[in-house]
Amino acid sequence: MNESKGAVIPVKSSIKKTIIDLLEKAVDKGVFDAVVIPLRVPAGDSFAYVLVKDKSLLKDAFPLPPVMFIQGAKAVSSVTRLGEGNMKIAAIMRPCEIRTALELAKLGQTNLENMTLISIDCPGVLPTSDFLSDPEKSMKLFDAAVKNWDDKIMRPVCQICDKSSMVSGDLHIGTLGAKKDTFFIISNSQKGNDVMDKLGIALKENIGSWQAKVKNISEEKKKKRNKAHKDLKSKIGGIDNLLDTFSQCINCHNCMRVCPVCFCRLCYFDSDKVKHLSEDYLQRAESKGSIRFLPDTTLFQMGRMMHMSLSCVSCGACEDVCPVSIPVAQIFSMVADETQGLFDYVSGRSLDEPIPLIAYKEEELHEMEDANG
Amino acid sequence: MAKALKINKNTEQGILEFLRFLLENNKVKGVFTLKKISKDGAVAYSLITNPDELNDAVPFYPLMPVNGGKLLSRFTLKGSAKKPVVAVVKPCELRGFVELIKREQGSLENLFIISFTCGGVYPLKMAVDGTIEKNLSKYWDTVKKGEISADLRSACRGCTEFTPYTADITFDLIGNNDLDKKCVVFLNTKKGEEFAKGMKGEFLNKELDRKELEKLKSKREVEKKKLFDDIEVKEKGIDGLIEIFGKCIGCHGCSKVCPICYCKLCGFESSDFEYRPSNYEADFRKRGGIRVPPRTLFYHLGRLDHISISCVGCGSCEDVCPVDIPISIIFKKVGESVQKMFDYIPGKNVEEDIPLITFKEEEFAEVEE
Repeated sequence: MNESKGAVIPVKSSIKKTIIDLLEKAVDKGVFDAVVIPLRVPAGDSFAYVLVKDKSLLKDAFPLPPVMFIQGAKAVSSVTRLGEGNMKIAAIMRPCEIRTALELAKLGQTNLENMTLISIDCPGVLPTSDFLSDPEKSMKLFDAAVKNWDDKIMRPVCQICDKSSMVSGDLHIGTLGAKKDTFFIISNSQKGNDVMDKLGIALKENIGSWQAKVKNISEEKKKKRNKAHKDLKSKIGGIDNLLDTFSQCINCHNCMRVCPVCFCRLCYFDSDKVKHLSEDYLQRAESKGSIRFLPDTTLFQMGRMMHMSLSCVSCGACEDVCPVSIPVAQIFSMVADETQGLFDYVSGRSLDEPIPLIAYKEEELHEMEDANG
Repeated sequence: MAKALKINKNTEQGILEFLRFLLENNKVKGVFTLKKISKDGAVAYSLITNPDELNDAVPFYPLMPVNGGKLLSRFTLKGSAKKPVVAVVKPCELRGFVELIKREQGSLENLFIISFTCGGVYPLKMAVDGTIEKNLSKYWDTVKKGEISADLRSACRGCTEFTPYTADITFDLIGNNDLDKKCVVFLNTKKGEEFAKGMKGEFLNKELDRKELEKLKSKREVEKKKLFDDIEVKEKGIDGLIEIFGKCIGCHGCSKVCPICYCKLCGFESSDFEYRPSNYEADFRKRGGIRVPPRTLFYHLGRLDHISISCVGCGSCEDVCPVDIPISIIFKKVGESVQKMFDYIPGKNVEEDIPLITFKEEEFAEVEE
């Protein structure tokens, strides 16, 4: 892949319109049979991913909606989990959603064979509840924030996201660092090259200005992220603080259900394994004088962390649905950075990198031997 | 005449005294009730075996972190305790538990149930930001006066089933002006009488004062009608439903916290309902676009179908909905209309069968016609 070259696309009336025109053209030419893209729902108070075949529906699409009601990887998984089908599909999503789709592919939960993943520079998303409090006003606030690339009104984890322009799908739409009334299209795979080829768009322009701007922003965000994680750690570190942090948790498992990585149909923590005899509960209560009922609220969080933190992309979906406002995405993003750091792994960076805990390296076995003398 | 017990303490202390009496005299092995569990005052259901831990118990706290009926089902699902345990739950939680028992998801064996005339609970959000704590004195004022507290869960504002049906003991809270002075407990069952035996206080022959309860009930009826009417306007046919449920994100949190939805694996999350590529392709013959994941509205209609006969209107579903769908009112409205058809009040009587699992020959004839 020639990573320093891309296409410069002139913007007609708006970036959104230009992207949609390109998609329509791709559908016309049979490059794609259908497109997964967010549409605004009839009531206007939400955006939903729709698998669009009839291109007339595309005119109502929003390649970069102000909110993430459903994490896009869930939509991709829903379309492809049970096989590739006959349709060639493009999915337009945010970088963190694309990264999750890759993680899910590694976990056998998506089939990306016939799927072209297209990401777009992301300024973050509004917290769902903020958007719902006044959708029209939120649309305007988001538009203004995009113009200034201002993250103040976005989800807390978006404000510390250093991978908001990470290219790991097939194509990427780069709006940063582009000259007025243009944007970049960058290809990241042979599939991406082929699509551009079929559309008759050459990838020969210099994308240095995009790269420089992205580097700048992500370094700045990385600093902010490290600081935020450090602050958070001092607040929730230690078992007492941790228990207090999760004390309001009501066990609804909303966080797990919206998590794009938590793909299990039946979570261990909802299974019979965690259903005990009443005598067992009483015995536990007696050993401490009293127990919360149900117990093991924090254990669920830690279990979930163990299971998915290596693939966590810090999208923030979990935090947005927590009915008792636990900063769960911030906590998970902090843990994820550390666990992924251990293995020099970045979730969703590349399909070629196996998830560390499902890959076996012989020298790791020796490390274990050493540790145990 | 039903029996009653007057404890010379205010009602809040009265119940704690009573629970302590039960534990200390080995009448029960454990107490299931709401308790403050953290330094910032988070309230959660707890199982208490040490009487000292009762100091932090708040049995009447106007919050339902999780429907207590669902929790009692979890407690008794794999067999009852060998010795009695006392549970303090709200009327709708008790009704939810009774519906679960009918579905073989729990048992009343060795459970001693205390309930109370319930003034309603606040939404979870208000527990998190500390507003409940600030509102407490106002809340108890309205309970004493038999009025509807502002800012309650909408399901509670329109709840007309706030008097427990099957509790062994009922604490009288609504319209009780003497809440701060004395504590009157009604012993509804033989079990209730036995457990109260030996408790310090004055045993009386007294009935629960229904007058005050009826007054609140009619106020709640008015409020309920308003809530139902409001939904009706929006709920016009399939377009109306799409309007309301269009923002659903498919988290299924509503079913997870629902005391009636007990399935380990919901049908809508099972492989039966998963779309295959061929399903998408078939759908495309009918329409140009398919929402993914699909079946957003279908899930809600299915859940209505499955649980509306037993919906106790506790409001847990709405409280966890991340996109503020007025789901508890929709379910309550549909629930009541289905329940009325069968003259059924969910959770009223543990002996009464759930209408949809009983077969009456004449119903078959009705279908024929």
